[in-house]
Amino acid sequence: MSALVCRVVAFFCLLRASAAVFEDQVGKFDWRQQFVGNVRFAAFDAHSQASKKLLVATEKNIFASVNSRTGELFWRHVDKTGQDGQIDAMLVHGQDAVLVVGNGRLLRSWETNIGGLNWEVVMDTGSFQTAQLIGLADIVKFVAVLKKSAISLHYLSNGHQKWVENLPDSDTVQYQTVYSSGNGDVFVLGLVPHSHIVVVAYNIEDGEIMKQVSVEAPWITSLDSSCAVVGSAVLLCVDPVSSSLYTLQLNAEGRAEFVHIPLQSLDLEAEAGFHPVVIATQPHPARVPLKEFFLQLGPERFILLQLKDGAIAPLRDFNPANLVAFATTGEKTVAAVMSPKNETACSINLFSADTGRRLLDTTVTYNLDPNGGKLNRLFVLAFLKKDDSVGYRALVQTEDFALTFLQQPGRVVWVREEALADVVTMEMVDLPLTGTQAELEGEFGKKADGLLAMVLKRLSSQLILLQAWIGHLWKLFYDARKPRSHVKNEVTIETLARDEFNLQKMMVMVTASGKLFGIDSKSGTILWKHYLQNVQPNAAFKLMVQRTTAHFPHPPQCTLLIKDKDTGLGSLHVFNPIFGKKSHIALPTLPRPIQQSLLLPIMDQDYTKVLMLIDDQYKVTAFPSTKNVLQQLQEMASSIFFYLVDSSQGTLSGFRLRKDLSTELMWEVVIPAEVQKITLVKGKRANEHVHSQGRVMGDRSVLYKYLNPNLLAVVTESTDTHPERSFIGVFLIDGVTGRIIHEAVQRKARGPVHLVHSENWVVYEYWNTKSRRNEFSVLEQYEGTELYNSSVFSSLDRPHPPQVLQQSYIFPSPINTLEATLTEKGITSRHLLVGLPSGAILSLPKMFLDPRRPEVVSEQSREENLIPYAPEMPIRTEWFINYNQTVSRVKGIYTAPSGLESTCLVVAYGLDIYQTRVFPSKQFDVLKDDYDYMLISSVLLGLFFATMISKRLAEVKLLNRAWR
Amino acid sequence: MSSPGGQGGGALSTRGAGGARRMKWALELSLSNTRSRGDRQGGQGDTMYPIGYSDKPVPDTSVQETDRNLVEKRCWDVALGPLKQIPMNLFIMYMSGNTISIFPIMMVCMMAWRPIQALMSLSATFKLLESSSQQWLQGLVYLVGNLLGSALAIYKCQSMGLLPTHSSDWLAFIEPPQRMEIMGGGMVL
Repeated sequence: MSALVCRVVAFFCLLRASAAVFEDQVGKFDWRQQFVGNVRFAAFDAHSQASKKLLVATEKNIFASVNSRTGELFWRHVDKTGQDGQIDAMLVHGQDAVLVVGNGRLLRSWETNIGGLNWEVVMDTGSFQTAQLIGLADIVKFVAVLKKSAISLHYLSNGHQKWVENLPDSDTVQYQTVYSSGNGDVFVLGLVPHSHIVVVAYNIEDGEIMKQVSVEAPWITSLDSSCAVVGSAVLLCVDPVSSSLYTLQLNAEGRAEFVHIPLQSLDLEAEAGFHPVVIATQPHPARVPLKEFFLQLGPERFILLQLKDGAIAPLRDFNPANLVAFATTGEKTVAAVMSPKNETACSINLFSADTGRRLLDTTVTYNLDPNGGKLNRLFVLAFLKKDDSVGYRALVQTEDFALTFLQQPGRVVWVREEALADVVTMEMVDLPLTGTQAELEGEFGKKADGLLAMVLKRLSSQLILLQAWIGHLWKLFYDARKPRSHVKNEVTIETLARDEFNLQKMMVMVTASGKLFGIDSKSGTILWKHYLQNVQPNAAFKLMVQRTTAHFPHPPQCTLLIKDKDTGLGSLHVFNPIFGKKSHIALPTLPRPIQQSLLLPIMDQDYTKVLMLIDDQYKVTAFPSTKNVLQQLQEMASSIFFYLVDSSQGTLSGFRLRKDLSTELMWEVVIPAEVQKITLVKGKRANEHVHSQGRVMGDRSVLYKYLNPNLLAVVTESTDTHPERSFIGVFLIDGVTGRIIHEAVQRKARGPVHLVHSENWVVYEYWNTKSRRNEFSVLEQYEGTELYNSSVFSSLDRPHPPQVLQQSYIFPSPINTLEATLTEKGITSRHLLVGLPSGAILSLPKMFLDPRRPEVVSEQSREENLIPYAPEMPIRTEWFINYNQTVSRVKGIYTAPSGLESTCLVVAYGLDIYQTRVFPSKQFDVLKDDYDYMLISSVLLGLFFATMISKRLAEVKLLNRAWR
Repeated sequence: MSSPGGQGGGALSTRGAGGARRMKWALELSLSNTRSRGDRQGGQGDTMYPIGYSDKPVPDTSVQETDRNLVEKRCWDVALGPLKQIPMNLFIMYMSGNTISIFPIMMVCMMAWRPIQALMSLSATFKLLESSSQQWLQGLVYLVGNLLGSALAIYKCQSMGLLPTHSSDWLAFIEPPQRMEIMGGGMVL
């Protein structure tokens, strides 16, 4: 009987907790953007004229097809992260794209139309060098893969290996290049630096070595960028030291030797300190490469040269030019050259490759983004127009990982911001009030100038408000008549304004490449972007909101702390989060490496929160450091504490600020680094509100929560990873006094540990090595049935340790990230948001992670609405808040409160970005979407009229009766 | 309502405004005529009745001075009314149980409201008891009865858990404590 009751109770609890959206709510308040990461290889699918596919392989180990008309993804294949999934080479021929993956471990062929896998071959181990398509008699049939000590030839149609041959003297010779012109030979070129070049010719049919020559070349250092095969099997190399070109006939009979051509003889000279680069092209793998090639002599200087009968002739000198690229369509090959036009624009022109003449009407103007990075690469898709002239589209890749697709005559078709594939940290900032609202607010800030003037001003501003409201109503009415798809709300930076419930916010995203984005949370439109030059790739970022939008005449202010990992020096970037503009505030000089930063709730006169920067000598720099701030800091110094955790030393240390802005060490906890390593330290979020100070028990007494705002949850992992001996440790430490409130060691457990610390609970997830499963554990702290001090909380005056309760559960999936929902006042029940490796985001009610869940149901626990304990935690598909909009490689989840107590804004980021709203306790403060306004208003109106009519009837009847 | 017989047989009436206009005149042969006409004629005053005639019976207002016991008895009835209800209330309380649902809540409301209403109209009740000799005793009994009734209602509220007597009832009013220290920091960047 009791089991049945339990089940019924559990069922109702589950029923209540479901968080899925209805079908018609799809896309209403959520959006997803998919990214691929920084492009490493790109190729246009040019096998048919109507094709609009762009194939890209990226540094994030993703192979994808992009619609070149819209910039959207056709399909995308996400491989493993790290070395295992790294794409080493991409070769496109016809409808097939051949990828070499994982340092030459796998060879895969993809069908480019639908993205299906044609075949996959596992190759022998060996460090990958290069891969090349090999043709025979004008047909591309094979793909050659060159490794450090072997070369193998595979059929393009099925991946079967045709032959594999060891390379001669592979321990001394570095083989780097494969060349074939489709006549039955495969040349493998290797070198011994500063000594000689080795040319090995293989027979394409059986892999027999046809010829092996060694050519003296004491100047050679590398084949990759300084050498290329040009024309009919002529190896052309450039030597920066002697500033000359060398040519070598690869298939010459007898003794081969380099021909020396000094650059001076061509009236050319390499710029000092620049390593010249040879850029050649082989339009078809089964034919000889082009006779013409580019020689880059300086960062902005390219020469188009032609090799004719062993002699080199310059065709055209491009000075200045940023980027060059060859493109082939049909039989024609053109050279696209991008050259700077003025400070803010570049122009791309096409030149005939064989003559160097400029083609008419091929200029495309490309406006450089002042907030973007420098130009990086150019990809050109050429096509023949109806009148047989050459048209083209160009893809420009910039340093900030942005891809811009251009069309003649200079129209930007689309831009993909691939930096967003690697978001490091983010914040959500309230939007500013509209101009009219701001004017009304501004009244209070100004000085009074007479009663009458004030009244008139108030009246006029309220008139403006009324006007705006009527305009809004009219727009609503007007839009309501149009079909929903036609209503397009174009969001621009000018029309940004806070909505009624503050549901629309500005997402400020910091990416690993150093590019900052301002994204509208409602539509996902990028409203501003700013590229920070000179940011190291491994820099650490910390984003803080120093001033919110609430202090009207003062603009909001965000500060990004960037710490260079190599030098340890920190720098600040202060900007307006709404417009992305860098603010011109005097920044503090930071001569010493920065250890940590701390945002204090102390405000300057202009409502800027004070940022404290702690350097490696534990000296503090305040920003802003006005007189007012310094005075306040002096007054409050004795109550300002901070802690630093050094994971490599295994120390946690707490400091207190002195009046002269130096610090004193208060406490230190040492966790021996050789046994266990501190992996995670989490405090509570500063903007978290807890509405209820306790929990109501079944007997209607109160169990008060231990709400220590200074509490830290510290996780350590054992350095010994043996499944029998590994353990994780969880410590709850008071950050002010260093007192260890609770300490737990979980044996036979292993990280990575994901942890959420909020209110009076800590939830963490780990891998149980004994049972080989993922487990959730929850720790809750209570003060007991009596409050020690209900008015103030001071860590220095807490004689009683809290009661700590713990319970663990089995979770059926590994997780990527963990976060808790957050609402304005903290009345709404909490949910945990779990990012799963499958890309789903699970909204797990905190109710399930409650250490008070009873094993045996009693009257009191039922009164308390506690779910009976069950070791297994369910994953219900209706708890996935992102239904089928999976977020690949989810790395972090950000939650922010909205103006509605029921609603929490959620952004999940990783490879993709997904934004939605969650309602942990359902939408108790707004009417439902499907609320029947018509019915209710018609019933109300009907009742009103019925009342009027019956009143009239009653009057008539009374009058009649009175006449009787 | 009793109506007068109206005119004698064969009375003829001319009609003014109102009523059925299609009839210029009507001859009534029977005594039991239509009510509407009878009313109106009664209201207009009829010359057929003698002066001083009233169709309402005159109540007998004379007080029976002799039957004082009856008055006493009646007053005690009023005074003991609330006390008599208590066993009934107890029974209802027992039957309705302690669950919070619409019927027990309605019962409790009624149980609580009736004594309060009675206490508020206490002066009116005292006026009623004025004629009795044991007026003060009766008033006291009446008061005690009502107070007992309301105590019963409060007890019922208590047993239903409607009274804010537990600390959990005041939980929502506890303000979050103010923090004395400012703390922050983290892993070394």
